[in-house]
Order: sequence, then structure tokens, then C-alpha cells
Amino acid sequence: MKQQRKVALPRYGEYNCALKYIVEQGFEAQCVLPPPLSRRTEDLGARNSPDLVCTPFKTTLGSMIEALEAGADTIIMVHGACRLNYFGELQEQILRDLGYSFEFINLSLYNTGKMRDLLKALKVINPRCSMVKAARALYDAAQMVEHLDDTTSFYYENCGFDPSGTYSKIYRNFIADMYDARNLSEIREAYRSANRAFADVKLEKPRDPIRIGIIGDYYTVMDPFSNLELEQKLADMGVEVHRLMNITNDMLRNSEKNKQASVRAFTEYSMGASSTTDIWQAQNFAERAFDGLIQVKSAFCMPETDIMPVLANLSRDYKIPVLYLTYDSQTSDVGLMTRLEAFYDMVDMRKKVAR
Amino acid sequence: MGGNRMPAVGIPRAMLYYRYGTLWEKFFEVLGGTTGLSPPGSRGILETGTRLAPDEGCLSLKMFMGHVEALVGRCEKIFIPRYSNYGFTEVFCTRYEGLYDQARNIFRTSGQKFITCNVDAQNGSPEPKGFEQFGVELGFSAQESRRAWREASKALAQKQKADEAAQRELAGKPGMKVLVAGHSYVLSDPYLGKPILDYLDAAGTIRLRADAAEPETARKACAQFSPTCRWIVSEEIVGGVLLWKDRVDGIILVSAFPCGPDSMTNELLIRRIKGIPVLSLMLDTQTGTAGIETRLESFLDIIRFQKGEMV
Repeated sequence: MKQQRKVALPRYGEYNCALKYIVEQGFEAQCVLPPPLSRRTEDLGARNSPDLVCTPFKTTLGSMIEALEAGADTIIMVHGACRLNYFGELQEQILRDLGYSFEFINLSLYNTGKMRDLLKALKVINPRCSMVKAARALYDAAQMVEHLDDTTSFYYENCGFDPSGTYSKIYRNFIADMYDARNLSEIREAYRSANRAFADVKLEKPRDPIRIGIIGDYYTVMDPFSNLELEQKLADMGVEVHRLMNITNDMLRNSEKNKQASVRAFTEYSMGASSTTDIWQAQNFAERAFDGLIQVKSAFCMPETDIMPVLANLSRDYKIPVLYLTYDSQTSDVGLMTRLEAFYDMVDMRKKVAR
Repeated sequence: MGGNRMPAVGIPRAMLYYRYGTLWEKFFEVLGGTTGLSPPGSRGILETGTRLAPDEGCLSLKMFMGHVEALVGRCEKIFIPRYSNYGFTEVFCTRYEGLYDQARNIFRTSGQKFITCNVDAQNGSPEPKGFEQFGVELGFSAQESRRAWREASKALAQKQKADEAAQRELAGKPGMKVLVAGHSYVLSDPYLGKPILDYLDAAGTIRLRADAAEPETARKACAQFSPTCRWIVSEEIVGGVLLWKDRVDGIILVSAFPCGPDSMTNELLIRRIKGIPVLSLMLDTQTGTAGIETRLESFLDIIRFQKGEMV
């Protein structure tokens, strides 16, 4: 019998659980989880990447190296609407130049706008697998992503008001359950049981808590390691943290055209990649009278840089403070904490004056 | 022209102007409109742009906003076309895609009017249709606009052919040949790229440019070399390098800090092109050309050494 492939995707927040599900349940192959992102991952990536490429390129390259070290023989890389679309080809070249041997599935090569072609790419994982089974696993994984995003949003909106620390335990257990789930009912059951457990915790939440909305580039804003656990840090200050940017909202349920129509006061056309979604989310937070807005972006991210003048105007029009955070591979905790504390104090003061 | 009056249009002499300017100017000319260009790129323009553009934007974006500022209040409308894509797999750098709206946001309080032409095949507006609609918006008939587009694109194709032919002749001459590769708006800018070209000329090299290549041919060459490179302008540069590389003794990659597409395509070129010296030059807001000159000088020495002229 031919050996099963050992497939890995670079670490991306907690979304690797969905890939694991697709690979194992849909394609009957083995999924190798790269080690959690660390300083080492970043160093490995930065050392072998071009200097001026954005940080997610470096981080994902580092994670690919760690996946290969952990025994993966096949690496999947996704495509995207910005430089991300070109990540795969250059990363594969760099890894080959470093001497690694592996199979590389670059979804960008199959990115023709037709779902059929993407399925062809995934079929490489296991050519003999049943496409019905694979399609079913893709559907289940989409549900998993929705549950994961929903639970994550709920967690960061509320965990700052749970002095007992139970919320954090429930959330961590839920994530572990997602990695272990083998079928749709296990996914649903884990989701329901997390929700039940959350409901049992008594929160100490003021009537009108400080609410901060977070927007940003597709990788950095969703990956806690890359943004230095920005959401947890804010929550720990007693903030209700909202982030709409996730795979559910941006891929599974998104109408960019209609969002563009809603933000026409600021931009007539899409400014590329996730810019429309970002501007729409910023406007949405502002319309809901949030107390502050944080833009999270990696160094050299082009679309996020380009929308900065738009955010500045939005901030003036809606009188909402915006904190712009740029992350590179050297960002330290301390600098971030100082800026967050200052931002929090300012937002808090404004709120008190408003009352 | 039946009473149509074209407003005075200002065109920033930056970014895609150096790639498509011939087309834009001809389009307005055929329709009978008056256009005005911002002054040639300079240190002053760059400094103004640096104040206006986001800090983390590329050097070319800063230069561009400086050019826009130079036109504000000096023309009825500033023309910033939106080049998004030619199709699903043929796209432009997101920076060009957002330029029009970014400028409108930066200059929101200036009262200046902006106009755009939307090239976005993915959303039903390929280049010919984009220009047709643009002409109609300006008050001309669809037929007039289509004719203007046809003549304009013919003029651009002719210019590109002439550039390539001139370069082919140059490449046939004996002597040390160097290929300079970079965005046209970097290489042709009098403040950014020109000092490099001037230095190479003064040093007596035969200087070729990667952007002097027929775009379709160049992009085909790039598609073979790097299948997932989908930025049209980068494909043309990479393709230009591939088409000319066998006729030269060295390649100089010129990039403006921190150009996104260049950061990746130049890395790929360096990794995949073997057997020929490559120099990668990064331009930033530093003034003074001494640093660049030193690097060019030693690069030319390396080439001479390789050719056995310096032992």
C-alpha cells in the first residue's frame, strides 16, 4: 500500500484545525501540524526571506521550515488577492535552494476563478480519494470555521470581564476540541458545550463598557502570535474587543460589491485586496459608536497602507480615535503595551467626558 | 465635435504615466481636449509628496502625491486612471488600483476635482470599454470615444515598437552592455532613475532597459519563467530581463523602497538567473548620489574582471 501523504499548511491563527479536518477526514491523508509560532519561526523566516517582503511571508516561510522538520512531506500554500498570490512560488524556490525536498501544492497555480480547478489541486493530496467524501469534508470544515470564528468573537468580546479566568479555559478547551473533531456532530457538540459553559460564568461587565474595533491585514489581524496577542491584551484591560475580519465574514459570507456601495462616501472603487472590507468594517464600528479603532498591519502591507488616508478621514467624520499599529519581525511586547495603555487612557478619558 | 468642450485635464507625471502616458495623451488629443502635465520629478516634488502620502508607502507613491499637489488648483480636473486588472489572472499592483481614491482622500479638503478611467475587466470594464465609458462621461459620444481609444492604443504600440527597435540597434553595437531593469516610472524619473542611467552612459557602457520590450512578448516570456507572477507591469519587467539578458554583460535591478512586487520578483530573478552578474539597487529618500555611484562603479569593475579586461 502506498504511504499516506503527510500534509502541512503553515500556521495561521487556529485555522489549521480546519485543514487538518479536510486532509484527514476528506482525503484520508495525515496532517502534520507545524509547531506553534515562536521567535524561532520568525527568525527562520526572516533570515531566508527578502528584506522588504511583508511579515506574513516571513512567518509562513518559517512555519513551512518547521513543518518540514516535523515530518511533513507535502506543503500546501494558499493564494490571495495581494502579494499573497505570489508567496507560494517564491517560498518554494527558497525552500528548494535551502535543500529541502517535499511536494508543494501551490493553490495560486490553480487559482483560475473556477472551484473545479482548486479541487484538482487538492486531489493531489490523495488521487484515489472519493470526491464526494472530500466535498463533504470541505463543507464540514466550513462549518468548523464558522463555529471557530463565532466562538473566538464571543470570547474576546467578553473574556475581559471574567475575573475567574474560566472563559480562557473554556476557549482553550474548545480550540483543542476543534483539532480533535472527526465529524460534524463532534464539531457541533463542542461548539454547543462551549456556549453552555460560557453561559454559566458570571461576568462583571459594566453597563457601557469601552468597545474597541479591530481591523487589519488578513494574516496579522487574525493571528494572535503575529499581532502579539493584541486582542487578549486589550481584553485584559477591560475592553470589549470586536473584530469582524475573519474567514467567515470575509470569505464564507461576504459581498464585497455591496460593501463597496456602503462606503462610497469615502471611496468610489475598491482599493484592492481586503481594503473595501476593512473600510466597511471601520465605518460599521464607527456607526455603532465604538470608542476606538485599531488598524493592525504588517510592515510593508500595501493595501493597508493605502487605506490609511481613508481611515484618517473616517476618523475625522465620525470623531472616532484610530490607533495605527505596524508589526514587523522585531516588534516587542513592551512597545506595544505602552501604546495600548496610552490609547486606552485617551479613549477612557473621552468616554468619561462624554458622559 | 458638436459643442463638446473638454475640460482642462491635469496629468501627474508619475507612476503609470511612464507606462501608459502616450495612450492617455493621445486619447485626450483625439477628443480635442487640453491636457497639462505636472513638472518633471524633482527633490522638491518628492519632499512635498513625502509629507502628504502615508509614511509606509513606497517612494513612487510619495513622488506621485507630490505631482498631484503640483496640479491642485492649476487644472479643472486631475486625471488618475484606476488600473485594476485585465482579467482574473492579469492584475495590477493594488497601489495603482487605489491611487484615485487615495488621492481623493488625501486632497479631500482642497476642493480639487478628480476624474478616473476604470480599467477593471473582472467587473465588466476591460480597458477599451473603460475608456469608452470615460469618454462618454466627459461628454463625447461612444463612437468618438472608441475611435479615440483605438488611435491612442495604436500610438502607444507604435512608441513601444520604436523603443524596442532603437534598443535592438543599440544592442548590436560592440562594447560592454548593461541591462537596467525597473519600473519605467523609477528609471525615467529625472530625480530617481536618471542619475543611474547618466552614470552608466558617462562610464561608456551600452545601456539597455528591460522595459523597452514589446509588452505581450515580455509577458509571455515571464509566464514561462514564473507562472504565478500576475502583476502585469512586473511581468513586463521580468519578461524584458529574460528577453535581453543574453545580450548583456550585467543586469542592474533598480527598485524604489519598499516596492511590493519588486521585493518578490527581484528575489526570484536573482535566484533563478545564473551565470551573469546582477546588482540590486534600492532607491530611498536619501539625497546625494555618491553611494549609488560607488556601487555602480564596483559593479562595472566586476563585469570587466569577469570579461578578462581587468586582471
